[in-house]
Amino acid sequence: MNPIYILLTLTCIVSEMFSQTSSGFTFSKNQIIISQDISTNENILVYKGEIIEDRLSTATPILGKTINEGKKTKFIPLVPFTFNQKYTLTYNNSVEYFMLPIPANYDFLSIKEVYPTSLSLPANLLKLYIRFSKPISIVNLYDNIYFKSPSGDTLSRAILPLENALISEDGTLLTLWIEPGRQKRGLKPNQQFGPVFNIQEKYQLVISKAIKDQNGVSMTKDFVRFFQIVNEDRRKPSVGDWEIQIPSINSLSNLVIKCNESLDYGSIQDNIVIIKGNNQEVDGIWQLLANETLLSFKPIKPWEKDNYQILFDPGIEDLAGNNLGRLFDTNVNYTSKDDIKIEPYKLEFNIK
Amino acid sequence: MKTFITFIVSLTLSFYVNEIQANSSLKANFIKGNPNITSIHKMTFGPEGILFIGDSNAAQIVAIDLSEHPKLDNSEVKIDQLDEVIADMMGTTVDQIQITDMVVNPENNNIYLSIQHSSGVPILLRVEENVLKQVPLDNVSFSKTTLSDPVSEEAKDRRGRKLRKWAVADIKYMNGKVLLSGLSNQEFASTFRSIDFPFNEKQTYSSLEIYHAAHGKYETHAPIKAFIPTSINGTQHLVAGYTCTPLVIFPMDKIEPGKHSKGRTVAELGSGNSPVDMIEIENEGNRYLLIANNNRPLMKMDFKDLEAYQGSLTTPVTKKGAAVGVDYVNLPFVNVHQLDKLGDGGFLIIQRETNGNLALKTGNSWWVK
Repeated sequence: MNPIYILLTLTCIVSEMFSQTSSGFTFSKNQIIISQDISTNENILVYKGEIIEDRLSTATPILGKTINEGKKTKFIPLVPFTFNQKYTLTYNNSVEYFMLPIPANYDFLSIKEVYPTSLSLPANLLKLYIRFSKPISIVNLYDNIYFKSPSGDTLSRAILPLENALISEDGTLLTLWIEPGRQKRGLKPNQQFGPVFNIQEKYQLVISKAIKDQNGVSMTKDFVRFFQIVNEDRRKPSVGDWEIQIPSINSLSNLVIKCNESLDYGSIQDNIVIIKGNNQEVDGIWQLLANETLLSFKPIKPWEKDNYQILFDPGIEDLAGNNLGRLFDTNVNYTSKDDIKIEPYKLEFNIK
Repeated sequence: MKTFITFIVSLTLSFYVNEIQANSSLKANFIKGNPNITSIHKMTFGPEGILFIGDSNAAQIVAIDLSEHPKLDNSEVKIDQLDEVIADMMGTTVDQIQITDMVVNPENNNIYLSIQHSSGVPILLRVEENVLKQVPLDNVSFSKTTLSDPVSEEAKDRRGRKLRKWAVADIKYMNGKVLLSGLSNQEFASTFRSIDFPFNEKQTYSSLEIYHAAHGKYETHAPIKAFIPTSINGTQHLVAGYTCTPLVIFPMDKIEPGKHSKGRTVAELGSGNSPVDMIEIENEGNRYLLIANNNRPLMKMDFKDLEAYQGSLTTPVTKKGAAVGVDYVNLPFVNVHQLDKLGDGGFLIIQRETNGNLALKTGNSWWVK
């Protein structure tokens, strides 16, 4: 039988995303609907690829459920159909072929931001965060993110690959560890291979366009960022050295904290609280600005006359993993358990 | 004669009642339904056909009852082009799937594979007569518990830590406890969890530290990649493989909730290498530790050597790529992606063979005799 490819104009609606029709059936990413009655004893079978009738008996059917609903029969695949993949559908002794092209108006995956945003980074940089425009597929993720040396070679053992990627609940923020075994003194990889980056050299972060969204569709272009490596950061961030720009009373002005150095994007999130004199939390929105060196807080209600405390979680880090309470490389000879603080750090201010 | 028959009937009933009680004690809290598993990253079997699933996305451990699957032989199991077969079953291409774990139920030799698809749908497959079959997860007998956040609990603060993720690296069951290692996106540390089973509110955390006395200038917290609980010289120990390849042992009775434990480094498995899976095999009275690696062949270590080694590696390995400490042999199995025990004294692997074929197959048990 000659294959019949069904490539119809897409109707894109929320519940029936990318649904298409033919005379006997409709199909979308998530289901096939056959409008005529079929025997309840006979399942709909779907196969990957364009398979001629003689070979169907040896082919592996796609996993899914067949549901009979009166005059309609549905096939729900275990995982959504893949764009640009040919499929073979059999029912009632019919063999049909179909394919879902990527819609012309498809919203392709892109990178919204990579943190840290500074183009000058410490040699002992510990983490990167990649914010994607939509949820990503974490399958084979680490093959597609790498660093290039000044000579254009790909750095080996630079990013810690995890079988289980650290992705946020909404699937859009990926945390990457710069190989901690090399960045942390005292561990074997550090002793054998040295740290990942050399001071004063310029590197590229490359996020290949091969990274896919959850529909299995890749980005349209590679993301490349050049950055310069500077001296290691071996000092803890010190809240006491941070400067507060106090907003005026009855205003909705931002409270701005100048931090003297870039802070780790992930460790800041939800880890700072402003408390009024009556121990009530002040509601508002925090932003990290100026290469993550400025913390800016916009209140929802105007500032009132009161005493305020800003509470910082001890886990807030700089770019090298040094947090408010301890250095990433802690010298065991000079550290006791008493040095590890779990209470918040504070800054105080008054609005008069 | 009558007394004898009464005795036999009583004995039979007694076994039956004991069996029921054993079942009810572990599965008493199980309910039938959809456990809403969002990801399957690591799995392990406990007793009575209970499969424990580490679901990092939902920060939960789910125990499901798979005891109804029939006992299988599987001693001749072989599936070639495994990734292609799975991709065909999903109707997609090989680059859109990943095999995240493989486990064998020791009570009936059923083999299970967990699959991650690009859409995020978690899939569990079972092998029967060299054919993969789906195990539906939407209507099972299950019990589950949420992984609580040790840091915010300790800090008792008001912050939400919405960004915090904890990825399960390995999971094992031992004597009424589910043991877990993993890594968060906030601390590079070796948080080790112990969760009572049947699940209750109790979860304990400790951190297991590699300690190099001679060059211990810097603390060396690091996450455990793979581990097994086992007996060393008659007492319970944890054998842990770290991401940076030392093999470290911890006496279980020294792992205390909320405390640091310092282990004894007994081997280095070669630089640039990371352990993938570890199993213990017993054959004719000999016990062996098998370790699959991402950048070295399958390794075999004799427990007699491990038990005899009383030292602790305290100096850096100066020769690049060298392996020191307890002696081990490299078995002729490279690129082993998954490893588990199969039957009495056998082992099962998923291996990328030199011709590119990804094969699910048994290892020749001659190597572990």
